[in-house]
Amino acid sequence: MASIASATAAPVLALSPGRVALGRTLRHGGFWVGGGILLVILVAAILAPLLTAHDPTWQDLGKRLVPPVWDARGSWEHPLGTDQLGRDYLARLIYGGRISLLIGFATVLISGAIGTALGIAAGYWGGRVDLLINFVLTIRLTLPVVLVALVVVALAGNSLTILMLVIGLLLWDRFAIVTRSATQQIASREFIVAAQAIGSSTGRILFKEILPNITGPLIVVASVELAHAILLEAALSFLGLGVQPPLFTWGLMIAEAKNQLFFRPWLIAVPGAALVALIFAINLVGDAVRDVTAPEGRA
Amino acid sequence: MLRFIVQRLLVTALVIAVTSMVAFSLVHLTGDPAAAMAGENAAPEDVEAIRRTYGFDRPIWEQYLTWVGRFLAGDFGRSHYLKLGVGEVLAEHMPVTATLGVLALAFALGLSIPLGVAAALRPNTIVDRVALWIAVAGQALPSFLFALGLIYVFGVLLRWLPVSGDATWQHFILPSVALGYYATPAIMRLTRSGMMEALQSDHVRTARAFGLSRWRVVVRHGLRHAIIPVVSLAAVQLGFMLGGSIVIETVFSLKGLGYLAWQSIQRADIEVIQAILLVIAATYAVLTLLADILNAALDPRIRIG
Repeated sequence: MASIASATAAPVLALSPGRVALGRTLRHGGFWVGGGILLVILVAAILAPLLTAHDPTWQDLGKRLVPPVWDARGSWEHPLGTDQLGRDYLARLIYGGRISLLIGFATVLISGAIGTALGIAAGYWGGRVDLLINFVLTIRLTLPVVLVALVVVALAGNSLTILMLVIGLLLWDRFAIVTRSATQQIASREFIVAAQAIGSSTGRILFKEILPNITGPLIVVASVELAHAILLEAALSFLGLGVQPPLFTWGLMIAEAKNQLFFRPWLIAVPGAALVALIFAINLVGDAVRDVTAPEGRA
Repeated sequence: MLRFIVQRLLVTALVIAVTSMVAFSLVHLTGDPAAAMAGENAAPEDVEAIRRTYGFDRPIWEQYLTWVGRFLAGDFGRSHYLKLGVGEVLAEHMPVTATLGVLALAFALGLSIPLGVAAALRPNTIVDRVALWIAVAGQALPSFLFALGLIYVFGVLLRWLPVSGDATWQHFILPSVALGYYATPAIMRLTRSGMMEALQSDHVRTARAFGLSRWRVVVRHGLRHAIIPVVSLAAVQLGFMLGGSIVIETVFSLKGLGYLAWQSIQRADIEVIQAILLVIAATYAVLTLLADILNAALDPRIRIG
C-alpha cells in the first residue's frame, strides 16, 4: 500500500508549480497558434533586411500605386504593389511591425513596473496606502487615454521616446488592479506570515515571496496591455499624432492609405490584416496562460 | 444607503477636483502654451505678447484658481481660434457625442446581453463558441480599422448608408456600431459568467423546482441577478466610449466633442482642449458614481459592506 502511494505521489512532488504550468501551456492549442503567429511577426521584424531587397522608405514616384500581384496589372517585382509615394508595400509591411513591437514591449515594461509596484504595495499594506493608491488609480481611470495621449504628444512634440513614455505612463491601471487583488489573496497565507515571523525584510517578502507567486496573472495582464499599447499606438498614428515619418508602423500605413479606401482598399487591408493578426496572436497567448494559471477565472 | 451615497459623492467631487488640476496642468507641463498658440514661425515678441495676454506668465496655481473660479461661475473661457465662447462651442458639439454614445451603448447591450445569456444557457456548445469568437475577434480589431471596414462594406460596396457627417439618423448607424462593438466583448463575458453563476444558485433551482417556465426562470430569476454587475460595467463602458469617440468621430467626420478635441489639438486651442478634457473626465466620474449607487440600490450587500 505504502509503496503504491509513494510511487504515485513522487512524480507530482518532483514538479514545481512553475514546471506544471509550463507543461500545461505547451499542451494548449491556443498557445501554439498564437505563439506561432507572434514568432513569424517577430522574426520578420527582426530579419526584415534579409526578407526583402527593397528599401521601405525609398520613393519611386514613377511607380506610384502599382497594384498587387493578384491584380492583372501587378507584377512580382512588387508583390503587394506600391503605395501613393511609390514605396514597395511588402517591404513596408515587413518593416512596419518593428516600431509597433518596440513601442509595445517598451511601454509594457514602463506600465508594468509602475502598475505592479502600486498594486503590490496596495495589496500588501492595505489600509491608507490602499486608499491612496486606489484614489490615484481612480484619477487615472477618469482621464480619457486617447485624448490625454494626443494632447501630450501634440504639445511635447512627438518623438518615439515621448510616445513610449506617454503610453507607458497611461496604461498601468490594469497592472495595478490585477496585482493588487492577487497580492491581497496571498498576503495572509502561511508562507508570507512565516517569512514575516522569521524576520525577513519587507523587500525580500515583496520580491521573493509575493512577486513570484503572482507571475501568472501578471503575464496575462502583460499580454493584454501589450496588445492595448500597440492598438493605442496605431490609433494615435492613425490620427496623425503617433509615429512620424520617416518612421512608420502599420497604424501609420493605414492612416496614409485612408483616402484610397474607395479605389485601392488593399492598401488598408494589408497593414490592417497584419495588425489584427498581431493583436489576435498576443491575445491567444495571453488566454492560454490564463487558462493554465487561473482556470477558475475563465469566462 | 444615504451614508453610502454621501460618501461616494464626496469621493467623486474630490476625483473631479484632482482631474481638473491634471486637465489644466497637462498643457502647461508638457509644453509652452504660448509658443504652441503662436505657431511655429512666430516672432519671440509675439509669443511674449500672447503669454501676457492669456496670463501664462503668472504662477500656474494662480492661473488654475482663476480658471476654476471662472468655470464654476459658468464661464468656460474663449476659443482663441474660433473666436467664440468655449461654452457655446461645447454646447454645439455635445449633442452629437451624447447621441453617439447612447446609440453605441444600446447597440453593445443589444448584441452582448442576448449573446452572453445564450452562451451561458448552452456552455461549451456551438452557441458559446461563436459568442466567444465574436468577443475574441472584437478585442483584436482596432476601432478605426473596423470603422473603415464598415465604411467600405456599407458605404462603398453596398451603398446603403452615409459614411460622413451627422445630418440624419442614418449617419449615426455605422459610427454607433463601430464604437459600440468595442464594448461588446467585456459586457458579453460578464453577462455569461454572471448568468452561469445565477443559474447554478439555489434560488434558480428552487424556481425550477416550482415548475416556473424556463423563460421566467432565466429572465426573472437568472438575468435579474446577473445584470447587476453588467449595469455597472455598462456605465463605465459609456464613459470609455465618450473618451474613445475621438477616433470614431474623426473617421466618420461626426462633429462631436472628439472631433472638436482633435481639431483643437491641431489648432493649439488650449482653452477648448482643457474644457473638453474636464467635461469628459467629469462625465466619466459621474457615470461611475451613478453605477455604484445603482449597484448599491439593487444589491444590499454592497451598501452594508
